[in-house]
Amino acid sequence: MSGSDLLDRRLVVVTGKGGVGKSTVSAALAVLAARRGKRVLVAEVDARERVAPMLGGRPTGPVVRPVLPGISTVNVDPRHALEEYALLVVKVRALYQAVFENRVVRFFLRAVPSLAETLMLGKILHEARSEDRGRPRWDLVVVDAPATGHALQLLGVPRALLDTVPGGPLRRDAEWMQALLSDPARTSVALVALPEEMPVTETAELDARLRDDLRLPRGPVFLNAMPEARFTVSDIARLRDLSGSPPPLGPAARAGLLQAEQRERADEQADRLRSLLGRPLLPLPLVASDRWGRRSVERIADAMDGAI
Amino acid sequence: MGALLRSLEGRRVAIVVGSGGVGKTSVSAAIALSRAMEGGRVLVCTIDPARRLATALGLDSLGNSEALVPPEAFARSGLAPRGQLHAMMLDVKRTWDDLVTRHAPDAATRDRILGNRIYQQVSGALAGSQEYMAMEKLYELSTERDYDLIVLDTPPTAHALDFLEAPDRILDFVGNETARKLFAPALGAGRFGARILQVGTGFVAKTLSRFTGSDVLSDVGDFLGQFQGMYDGFKERASAVRSLLTRPEVGFVLVASPSALSVDEALFFHDHLRTAGMPVAGTVANRVTRELWPYPEPVPGGVQLAEALGGSGQGDPELAARLASTLAQHETFAHADAREVERLRRGAPGPHAAVPRLEGDVHDLSGLAALARHL
Repeated sequence: MSGSDLLDRRLVVVTGKGGVGKSTVSAALAVLAARRGKRVLVAEVDARERVAPMLGGRPTGPVVRPVLPGISTVNVDPRHALEEYALLVVKVRALYQAVFENRVVRFFLRAVPSLAETLMLGKILHEARSEDRGRPRWDLVVVDAPATGHALQLLGVPRALLDTVPGGPLRRDAEWMQALLSDPARTSVALVALPEEMPVTETAELDARLRDDLRLPRGPVFLNAMPEARFTVSDIARLRDLSGSPPPLGPAARAGLLQAEQRERADEQADRLRSLLGRPLLPLPLVASDRWGRRSVERIADAMDGAI
Repeated sequence: MGALLRSLEGRRVAIVVGSGGVGKTSVSAAIALSRAMEGGRVLVCTIDPARRLATALGLDSLGNSEALVPPEAFARSGLAPRGQLHAMMLDVKRTWDDLVTRHAPDAATRDRILGNRIYQQVSGALAGSQEYMAMEKLYELSTERDYDLIVLDTPPTAHALDFLEAPDRILDFVGNETARKLFAPALGAGRFGARILQVGTGFVAKTLSRFTGSDVLSDVGDFLGQFQGMYDGFKERASAVRSLLTRPEVGFVLVASPSALSVDEALFFHDHLRTAGMPVAGTVANRVTRELWPYPEPVPGGVQLAEALGGSGQGDPELAARLASTLAQHETFAHADAREVERLRRGAPGPHAAVPRLEGDVHDLSGLAALARHL
């Protein structure tokens, strides 16, 4: 599928290898959706918070808070999610405290397979389907998911629970969670990659796992930090001749050669990713910025506009 | 030989840590290669190497065991090592199973644990499990083999501290005394909830089973019960691993890319290592964009470059403009990188290496050798 209707989903999960720019892409998706008049929540998953600071706000913590007009953020953590969820189940706070704040029980809860992931995913998906006076609370929930392995763990939780838990509230939750996650009309998993060897390999593996193991609706693949094609073959030959010149020409020519080499390597990796995935990529520009902040995010959002 | 490699001389274990995507595997392999070149018998243990790097190391068909990087592979790259380089890929699940097999009192217990659903989750998917097994494997290798140097490339942790805390955290829940007392009666006893009622904590158990379903409770009870006989063995081993990590023959190598996030992570890890009394061998800033305009004059604009181009008889204002913006962009990256590298050096004083950008992306032995020259 192309990215054309990505922002019309209720839930967009952004994942990819560590360090490829998932938070930036998540923030840019939110900015773009907000420009289109949508109410957006960006959820980070027990992370060192990046999205709110990138958009010029303070770190949000576990309680949803607006950061820009139309954009709210939250950093979901297991402990807080447990409290919220357990209160839904047991209803009475005193009872919650007696049971769940008990030290032994806390140990026990850690031993329940993937409970932390379940709670965090449950909290996020709950936001995605929550309503306020008959209308959805959010038009779009963007999940700035963890990197590959942890993301697969997180997104695989409902299926794993359906396989292992025969009954009880946890199973019922797993059922609606899986229904939402696997519904291509409501959910899309977008990948972020860099035009480098490891990220390309990992992205292809991740894509295959999403398709074959988790069977989740796969969205666009953003190829982040793609250097521009600035120099032709004949330019490059000329820059080689000039690279030994004294300043200012020599250093400028060397910068040009490095840029051309970067572009060439990036192109090779982009081709490799395209052929591994068998579908088009959405390239995002390499943005030169001294400090990464809202302006850089806006530039990425500009580059996305039109493609999604 | 650079500062980092000198700092590792005489150490027997190098543990390479850092956030995901910073090039830990390349740095690990380069450290190992360099020692092998000088005559050492070296092992690099990695988690998930890039395909071409794996191929270069002969890791294509390997599981959880060590293999010698063949002399032909070196010869192809024009390298003649005086020592030996071995490589292996860590198989987390296998390492868990081996550990259970090692500590199980009898075959029946072993099989029961290996077949338990909770065990399968713990050994396969539990957060921290990879980190724990990386430590475990390191301990096994360092006590049972006689390598001059073992380089451990650590898993890409979401949180750097997972690596240090995972063993305790995992052992905490398989070995918690009170939990064991609470859950042990369930062992082999069908309905778990009924037993819990008998020990007078029915209220807790009933609420919990509303939460998780009672079968999960009984699986956990069974798992903890089975583990009871092995727990002491596990605990002993984990504390041996921990004390290994504080020995001077071990050195942690902190790898960061020159980005704020990655440097933060490295510094955070650095502080914790220091607090925990674990020896830091040095830091590596990988894929650093080097300055091309170190002059006091401002970066030249298009007009100035066009004039210079004209002077060489090939005036071309359009190319000059592209070059000017390319150089300016390059310098923006270089300055941002330099700032982060400086923050890393100040925050984690000691031996430091900076690897230039294009040499940080490595997929063969000669590339590793080139990288090692910067360490």
